Amino acid sequence: MTIPKNVSGLVASARVAILAAGVAAGLGATASAQGDEQPLIIARNLAVNSLDPARTSCDTCNIYMAAVYDTVVRLGQDNKTVEPGLAERWEVNGDSTVFTFHLNAKAVFADGSPVEAKDVKWSWERLTNLQGGMSWLFEQVKSIETPDSHTVVVTLSQPDSEFLGKVIAPYSGVVNSKVASQHGAKTSKEEAATDTAEPWFLANSAGSGPYVLAAYAPDSELRLKRNDHYWNKQADIGEVVIRQVKDSVAQAQSLMSGAVDIATEVSPDTAKTISAPDVTVQTVPSYQFLYLALSPGAKGNPPLSVPVRQAIGYAIDYKKLIDFTIGGAGQLVPVAIPNGFPGADGLPAPEYNVKKAKELLASAGLKDGFTMEAVFPNENYYGVDMSTLMQFVQQELAKVSIQLQLKPVTFPVWLQTVKGEGTPLTASFYGPDYFGTDQYVRTFAMMPGTRWYTRSGAERVQGMANPKEKELLDKALASPVDQRDKLYHEIAQLMIKDRVIIPLVGPNTVLAYNNKVEGMRYSVVALLPLQELRFKK
Amino acid sequence: MNAYRYVLRRLAGLPFLLLGVVTVAFLLSQLSPAEPLASILSERQLSNPEAVAAAKARWGLDRSPVEQYLYYVKNVFEGDLGISFRTKQPVIEDLAARLPATMELVLAALFLGVGSGIVLGVVAARFRDTVVDQLVRLIALFGSSLPVFWSGLAALSIFSVQLGLLPGPGRMNPRAAALDPITGFNTIDAILRGNMASFSDAVTHLILPAAVLGWATTGVISRLVRASMLDVLGQDYILMAKAKGSSGLRILFHHALRNALLPAITVIGYSFAYLLTGAVLTETIFSWPGVGSYAVESARALDYPAIMGVTMLGGAVFVLTNLATDLAYVLVDPRIKLQ
Amino acid sequence: MSASAPLIARRPRTKWFWSVLPGYFGFTIISFWIVAALTARFWIPYSPFDTVGSRLTPPSFDHLFGTDALGRDVFSRTMAGALYSIPIAFVVVTIGAFIGCVLGAFAGFVGGWRSAVVMRLVDITLSFPPMLLAMAVAASFGPGLTTAAAAMIIVWWPLYARLMQAQVLSVIRMEHVEAAIASGVRPGRLLLRHILPLCWTPILVNATMDFGQVVLLAASLSFIGLGAAPPAPEWGAMVSDGAVNYYFWWIAAAPGVAILSVVLALNFIGDRVRDILDPRKHQS
Repeated sequence: MTIPKNVSGLVASARVAILAAGVAAGLGATASAQGDEQPLIIARNLAVNSLDPARTSCDTCNIYMAAVYDTVVRLGQDNKTVEPGLAERWEVNGDSTVFTFHLNAKAVFADGSPVEAKDVKWSWERLTNLQGGMSWLFEQVKSIETPDSHTVVVTLSQPDSEFLGKVIAPYSGVVNSKVASQHGAKTSKEEAATDTAEPWFLANSAGSGPYVLAAYAPDSELRLKRNDHYWNKQADIGEVVIRQVKDSVAQAQSLMSGAVDIATEVSPDTAKTISAPDVTVQTVPSYQFLYLALSPGAKGNPPLSVPVRQAIGYAIDYKKLIDFTIGGAGQLVPVAIPNGFPGADGLPAPEYNVKKAKELLASAGLKDGFTMEAVFPNENYYGVDMSTLMQFVQQELAKVSIQLQLKPVTFPVWLQTVKGEGTPLTASFYGPDYFGTDQYVRTFAMMPGTRWYTRSGAERVQGMANPKEKELLDKALASPVDQRDKLYHEIAQLMIKDRVIIPLVGPNTVLAYNNKVEGMRYSVVALLPLQELRFKK
Repeated sequence: MNAYRYVLRRLAGLPFLLLGVVTVAFLLSQLSPAEPLASILSERQLSNPEAVAAAKARWGLDRSPVEQYLYYVKNVFEGDLGISFRTKQPVIEDLAARLPATMELVLAALFLGVGSGIVLGVVAARFRDTVVDQLVRLIALFGSSLPVFWSGLAALSIFSVQLGLLPGPGRMNPRAAALDPITGFNTIDAILRGNMASFSDAVTHLILPAAVLGWATTGVISRLVRASMLDVLGQDYILMAKAKGSSGLRILFHHALRNALLPAITVIGYSFAYLLTGAVLTETIFSWPGVGSYAVESARALDYPAIMGVTMLGGAVFVLTNLATDLAYVLVDPRIKLQ
Repeated sequence: MSASAPLIARRPRTKWFWSVLPGYFGFTIISFWIVAALTARFWIPYSPFDTVGSRLTPPSFDHLFGTDALGRDVFSRTMAGALYSIPIAFVVVTIGAFIGCVLGAFAGFVGGWRSAVVMRLVDITLSFPPMLLAMAVAASFGPGLTTAAAAMIIVWWPLYARLMQAQVLSVIRMEHVEAAIASGVRPGRLLLRHILPLCWTPILVNATMDFGQVVLLAASLSFIGLGAAPPAPEWGAMVSDGAVNYYFWWIAAAPGVAILSVVLALNFIGDRVRDILDPRKHQS
């Protein structure tokens, strides 16, 4: 009545086999010592949708693209001026329709091959033809010519005085066309549907930036290594790891315990509780904002006529919202254009007025309110917990008898919903990709083709389109700066009247980092320019 | 009953059961109202018929459900579970990359749970019907009544935040140089590489989640060990040993426990499957990069290829452990062997 | 299940204190929660859905269990939460047991290929880890309490089907049933009058034991976001709020204890019910 010998013998020999195999593998592998140089660890809610330059669009992607794929021109430290990038100089014709870039002969990709005009053309055409989230950047481009290996001539179909801004956007980063093509990347319109390079881009990079992709593990980490062939000033830190830490509190905790060096989405509110002597917390204004979006064309035909949308705008106590979601560290945003951007100055602050809201609802025959669904992404954006934010909005709207049925979903499901049948009320965020107002008009205005024109189901509802906005935008892009800003101001006022987008708050950016890190700043394009960071010696 | 025939029948039924598992996974994906194209394509692509057609062809969505099903079954048996909408990587690779983390956690939990369960079970049998016995019973009941997602949180809050004894969520300190995987088990890899710093890093990260997860099985095991100990202690040969003057402890551990463990093997098998389930929540709390947290993320993202993959993996593991448990039982139980 | 070791008959020396008291204790706790589920809305100090104080304040006299990230009173929310967990567990166990028993009795009674179809379905459903299957179903139907309940019923019925089928198979061989068959009793009457009345005990014992497991699973689904939608004060969802802010321990403390108390109480009651109905299996 004992355990048969053969079983234990079997187990033992199996164990020996495993050990032997392991030891053999261990001896065979080269020692993976990284030297004594420490990697820089960043805690962040990754929320990466892709790392393929033509398919990605997310905040982490901004950081990644800016660090890995150099752009033809770049944005200066002041977040406004245009500086040389891969192009050492450029020319613009009188009506902003022809842009000529002269590439720097020194510029090379991470594999050592030179950055040439054909790569620029290839990358921009691919971005457009693959029709990814950021493909609108180059949709006004009529042709891209490459008269020689280091000259790129872009001709636009209509004037665009903010075109350089689009070249600055991190998604316009230049890809090594030869390497990418070898891994299934296609650039022409005809072949776009057969492009199979995405999986390759998730494990490799082909840029000319200060960093290269070392490894990406979804839900876990994004690892960058210094590009030792970088043609410009080399990055200081050899390895950067962006670790998935979803919530603000958990990020603050790992920063205090020393597990990470930088936390990117600590809410201003949580930042106040950080009390470690070796941690610096700075709160600086940002150009980012969170907004509500109302979709009259969503399924179920919600009664979201203009007076109802205005009523919703009046029903929210914005100041209290700022106190509640980010502990007061933010700004009121009048329109879906950040304060400080062209045309956004001097607009009236959003008003909280329950009485007016009720009157407006009564005028629309909805004195007793109504119920609607609100699908929203259950994530942390800029330190704001979206579930908290939406439950706050729910309470506010309940005061005017509008009942929200909250449906928190993940970002991909949310995207699927707003792209598909839509949801009557939702919330999201926007951070600029360059300094310029047209990106906001092209995203939020009620003109056919903009993101929220489509998502709000505007084409299914009478009278949603606002042709005046399109007209003013075309005019603005062809005008000199002083006139342009005035035109943008007019558009902004029209957008406020549309009331499809209700900006809620512009949260301040919290820079929370260990004292040994230097060079932290908020950048419009890169959010966090990794190549400027260094460890204190 | 003839145990061998039973096991043979189980073995013969295995492929059909696995086919059933695949079928259920496929049916679930078909039931869903979600539109897979919307998660594959961008807004602009959705209004471009060419891009839509290409995506449909690529993901096999242009076929009839029956064709899709056959195609899927064929792929599964060739080891291809499709490509995750969310991570854009083959599901089989995602699973393979995460499985070692889950196994490490589950085995550590099993070790703690079974170890403490056996000790508690023996103690309870020895002090049967006394306060000690009831105390053990209470501990066991607590273990199976505690929601792991809450006890995990409490453990983190106490041992990591308040006391600072153990590290917070995660599998390794991100600062430590990454271990080149050999087995994928961080603890074992660290030993094989002779890297003691990594080893203690891996172990300290493992303690909390494994203990939280293991506690849930302590209860079941201790009660089972207690029952079969009592059973064995009442049998003739034990009484004989007693009469011959063997010491109490020797009887308890040498004679009784060895035989009482036989039925416990069954429970260890079932616990393993139970732990896999519990790992889903434990991994979420402890940001453990295993199959469980992958399952949760996939379910939340309506990532069908991944959900189907995880469900099937879970089903297959469940079926196989049950089978292995039965086999082990037949192998080690002399009473069955004699028949 | 494989064979289990035969138990020798013995007379347990259990005292009233250990065997009966936990049952009463469990019964008291469950009664409390049932009463809370029915009446909490009348006596809780604050609305469970609204901001009623400053956010993230630790327990105090104003807010016994503190406030959460939105300044809601955790005590009021915990009490109101009984209205979610307990009814769900009740619905799932009842419907799951009903479906399982009907199909199991059918399979056991008719035999043949119809029985085989049902039992293979049972085998396949049981070959998934319950949590994973529930997650997959809930994800397919879209998150929400109703779909979570449906998912749990799908996970739960096969257990009862298997139990019922085995039970019917063993009862059908009993002498009085065979006598009834011989005397030509119609099948429907045979099943309802002669067989089923002898099948209930294990079903009832299992159902009480399962209650706690359902409460746990429902909370787990809510915890990972596949159950109750905000701002519902469902316990699992509340613990999940606490997980986001795990620095502020009090957010998750009360709902966690609530789940624990319910499951523990149901386990106590389950043990007691088994002791009463099924003395053969008495083990402790």
